[in-house]
Amino acid sequence: MVRAHEDAAVIEVQALAKSFPTRDGIVRAVDCVGFTAADGGITGLLGPNGAGKTTTLRMLYTLMRPDAGRVLVDGLDPAVRPDEVRRRLGVLPDARGLYKRLTARENIAYFGRLHGLDEATIAAHTSRLVAALGMAEFIDRRTEGFSQGQRTKTAIARALVHDPRNVLLDEPTNGLDVMTTRALRQFLRGLRAEGRCVLLSSHVMQEVAALCDHVVVIAHGRVVAQGTPQELRAQTGCANLEDAFVRAIGSEEGLYS
Amino acid sequence: MSAWWVVLRKELVDAFRDRRTVLVALVVLPLAVPLILAGMSALGAKRQARQLEGTLELPVVGAEHAPNLIAWLATQDVRAMPPPADPDASVRRQERDVVLRVDPAFGADWRAGRPAGLEIVFDSSRPLQSGATVARLRALLESYDRQVGTLRLIARGVHPSIVQPLRVGHRDVATPESSFDLAQQMLPYLLLLLAFIGGMQLAVDATAGERERQSLEPLLATPASREAIISGKILATAVFTVLSLLVTLVMYRVAFAVMPAERIDTSLALPAPALARLLLVVLPVVLLGAAVLTALAAFARSHREAQGYLPLLIFVPMLPTLYLMVAPVKTQAWMLAVPFLGQNQLVLRILRGESIESWEWALSLGAGLALVALAWWLAARLYHREQLAASG
Repeated sequence: MVRAHEDAAVIEVQALAKSFPTRDGIVRAVDCVGFTAADGGITGLLGPNGAGKTTTLRMLYTLMRPDAGRVLVDGLDPAVRPDEVRRRLGVLPDARGLYKRLTARENIAYFGRLHGLDEATIAAHTSRLVAALGMAEFIDRRTEGFSQGQRTKTAIARALVHDPRNVLLDEPTNGLDVMTTRALRQFLRGLRAEGRCVLLSSHVMQEVAALCDHVVVIAHGRVVAQGTPQELRAQTGCANLEDAFVRAIGSEEGLYS
Repeated sequence: MSAWWVVLRKELVDAFRDRRTVLVALVVLPLAVPLILAGMSALGAKRQARQLEGTLELPVVGAEHAPNLIAWLATQDVRAMPPPADPDASVRRQERDVVLRVDPAFGADWRAGRPAGLEIVFDSSRPLQSGATVARLRALLESYDRQVGTLRLIARGVHPSIVQPLRVGHRDVATPESSFDLAQQMLPYLLLLLAFIGGMQLAVDATAGERERQSLEPLLATPASREAIISGKILATAVFTVLSLLVTLVMYRVAFAVMPAERIDTSLALPAPALARLLLVVLPVVLLGAAVLTALAAFARSHREAQGYLPLLIFVPMLPTLYLMVAPVKTQAWMLAVPFLGQNQLVLRILRGESIESWEWALSLGAGLALVALAWWLAARLYHREQLAASG
């Protein structure tokens, strides 16, 4: 499924920083974030709301330029080769609006064409994603009036239509019901099994604990701890991951939302 | 398949499925513009005919002082009516268009051979209502003046030509189409306005709407360059606008074809080649409008803010029309290079049936397209701003 590649697919983030001017002065959204997300694994960015997860991801998919530090996708710098980096990424941003006057299939095909795929490839990839995500029932309906779950599935299929080696998902299970969440987790494990590099952000402990091989805990724009769930528990001396998380970020702020 | 072409196709499919956009751009506007112009033209022709040809009911103050004049006017289809109490005020209040006042000393002056006083009361700021009537009355009075003067000279044994050192004739060199009326002055403006902001709905929806519906961020995460994305959006807007203009011009022709010829100014009915030339003239304005609207939608923080600029955009194409109304100057080369002013001139010339030299085409299209490139560059710059998609 995944094209053979000379070197391992990885996402590297090195000493990343980004600040924004606001009315009340400069906000350092990302202060010093560094981690590596490896091939064939699911890496989770865990942190309370406003910790800098979305901004970090946005710098990865070239929507923003870092003030300092750098990111590498398969060894490529987005600042130098933005289009090539975007070609290698499948991105589910926090904003995941669909075109309501197009059907789910047309939404997906639009992005396939923007990735430069031919119609046959788009059709093949779409039918595979429809099967994997369970979209057969609504694939040819216009997306106006879709449920949250149907919208998220369509947005994920759209993000993955070009069969990317690296998959970025910003809060993928936000607003989904239990059944859809379970199905989505199963789908993400499938991506891992195919050898892809999956990087997701979440503020939900259970999500990260259930899915991720590697957890990066972010608070106030900094990495405060990282490792496997077991390592995190060991580092903080806490028996369960939630306590470890609270200990790591130093507060319960933003944990339950 | 190039990314701009993919975007262009998608935006058009999206727009054509939006019933409101299609209804406004391809049905309501194309019907409204010809109806307004044809209606104005018909009304104007009717009023002019009434003012020039029908019996003129003229309020006369002091008609009893000049019974012969009144009787002569009656033979010229001018019927003297009892005057209002205060003629000046009544004209100012627009109750009467024109009042004739006869000087109380008219009879005495007339008999003594002194110039006898007459006064035409009218409001020159309402030329549409009174202009033709005043001109008709003035011509009649001058004719009476000349007749009586001639008779007096003959009675004294003098040849009348002694007081006519000049003989002035008129030869009108206007082409049949160049007789102007208000509808004809409105057409260039309406055409340019439609060309400039006809794609408003689509352009704002394709950028500000895309952002509000949260689909811009995923779009920008695809390998398509920002330049390709805005090119597709601008061209989709332009295609849609040209379609709207085409339907409008065809409806316009139909409207003038079905109206009875004697009721309207037939000079406004466009022949088919003129239609094609009109579209070519306004093409840079169409592209400019599409690019400016896209830049504006990228600059504005919301759909509503973008639409707030609408009054400003309506005003811009109006400027040259206003300029030409107050200073109707001869077409000069530099004007063709000024956006809107140049197109306005060329549209007027096409309507008048005049030909356009190829260097004039080149100048107008070249200057227009240069400005389009500038607006496109601006839109691309705005699309590269980080704030564009990252508003959350």
